[in-house]
Amino acid sequence: MTAAMVRVEGLCKRFSVPRREAGLRAALRALVRREYRVVEAVRDLEFSLAPGERVGFLGPNGAGKTTTLKMLAGLIVPSAGRVEVAGFTPSDRRPEFLRRVSLVMGQKRQLSWDLPAIDNFEFNRVVYEIDPVHYKRRLEELTALLDVGEVMRRPVRQLSLGERMKCELVAALLHGPQVLFLDEPTIGLDVSMQLGIREFIRRYNAEHGATVILTSHYMEDVAALCPRILVIDGGRLRFDGSIEALRRQIRPLRRVSVRAAALPDDPTAMGRVVLREGGRLVLDVAPERVPEVVGALVALPEAQDLAVQDAPLEEVMRALFGREEAAELG
Amino acid sequence: MRHVPRAMFYLRLVAAQLEMSTLTALQYRLGFWTEGLLGLLWSVIGIAPLFVAVDHLGAVEGWGRWELVVLTGCFTILSGLFTAVLQPALRESMTHILKGTLDYVLLRPADGLVLCLTCAFQPWHLVEVLGGLVLVIAGLWLGEVEVTATGLLAGLATGAAGLMALYAFGVLVLCASFRALQLQALTHVMEALMDFGRWPAQVFPPVLRLLFTFVIPLLVMTSYPAEALLGRLSWGTVAELAAVSATLLVLARLAWVRSVRGYTSASS
Repeated sequence: MTAAMVRVEGLCKRFSVPRREAGLRAALRALVRREYRVVEAVRDLEFSLAPGERVGFLGPNGAGKTTTLKMLAGLIVPSAGRVEVAGFTPSDRRPEFLRRVSLVMGQKRQLSWDLPAIDNFEFNRVVYEIDPVHYKRRLEELTALLDVGEVMRRPVRQLSLGERMKCELVAALLHGPQVLFLDEPTIGLDVSMQLGIREFIRRYNAEHGATVILTSHYMEDVAALCPRILVIDGGRLRFDGSIEALRRQIRPLRRVSVRAAALPDDPTAMGRVVLREGGRLVLDVAPERVPEVVGALVALPEAQDLAVQDAPLEEVMRALFGREEAAELG
Repeated sequence: MRHVPRAMFYLRLVAAQLEMSTLTALQYRLGFWTEGLLGLLWSVIGIAPLFVAVDHLGAVEGWGRWELVVLTGCFTILSGLFTAVLQPALRESMTHILKGTLDYVLLRPADGLVLCLTCAFQPWHLVEVLGGLVLVIAGLWLGEVEVTATGLLAGLATGAAGLMALYAFGVLVLCASFRALQLQALTHVMEALMDFGRWPAQVFPPVLRLLFTFVIPLLVMTSYPAEALLGRLSWGTVAELAAVSATLLVLARLAWVRSVRGYTSASS
């Protein structure tokens, strides 16, 4: 049996945050006596990841995803529980551990603003003690994959957001980390750049076997990249499994759509009507009734564009975080 | 990965950090020459009053005219090192803490404190250090002071202790910024406090002398190295000053470890 690359047991993180009422009087009072409130950002997380897995952390803002990621990377010390990554305790921040991991954050940059990215890469070569021959080979490979051969010679401040993010990825991967933490890596990027970054991450994972842990607000990122997702909400793990399993659990109905010259008078007998507009009908149908409904819709006059799909992931997440039963998921 | 001794690794790392700062300074031609000009002006303005007043300098608490020039030289060296090396690194690190980009510094497989203390550098301010050296040599020469080998050694040892004390003090300021953000102004307070180091230890009342030796060790940085060069400091005092600096360094290191363990990073 393969040893886990990431093992988390009973992980908790509590922050003490200052709080005050609104207004000048409260602000002045807080200068003398400040009140603090303990916030449980992460509570009793338990999971383990195998080497080479691609896993997505999903959850609303403030759910504890980034805090968890930073505890795994060794940046934040847990309040309780145990974390092991690549056989190390991250919070010890031993150089042997730090050489095995890398973190890319879409909203923060590690590259020096004023210098070309290539100077930053050279600096990372020294910091990570990368053999010059190995460094050259690796840089050629990454720059070819991400198509930044020319871009990396321009000052970072002159790069577009997408170009900068590609260079951030090169900087993060030069030392060949076994575990790659990605915190919103495609935030603010246009669709084609998102696709490019996604494709690169998938390819990098396949070719190097690195474990990839991703947080993203773009559900499509997670759906396209991560066969396994961990849903975190309120600091707790709500779900651990595949996206399909999550869909089946939250929105088991299949979405069936059709376009026809004439629609049935009462389609509610087939399922829940999502849309009925012009000649188009969209229904949510129980899985066991899909063959029967499809048969009926195909028989409609001039039926075309018949499609059977799962509920969109955004809708699943909205349903998940908007309902009380979220606490009961497991 | 090649296994190089850690001391060699850190030398390479510091050299790489200095190279990055120099490359940054060279990136903008106009900025580079403007910085250079300002650095030179700053050094001249700092030293010029001494040339004007040197003929009128009387003895201060047992320090003759040329001995005061040596003291000013020691102060200028330390002040130059502060503005060239320590102050920019502290300000850059504080910005990292404020913006949350300290995450990337802490993720590098090297001592985070070394990375922070060498992350920025203003090469032009080293002109001030050269100016200070000239003043020390001129003061010793014109004052006809015979510097013995032991005096020189004691001066270097005390100077090193002073530098350690300065760094320790800087680290404590940096650690404070983990708890209270936006403390860049504290580096200016440090700079202003350092001005006390222009004066001989003897001009201060006993309480202030103790304060500036053991709590904010400005005198360890300037007055005592000058005294050592002039052959007026016993080895016992040198040892005491080294102990003060070592204690401060240990305290600073402990404060750093505690600060990093309590680091909460900034939200993304």
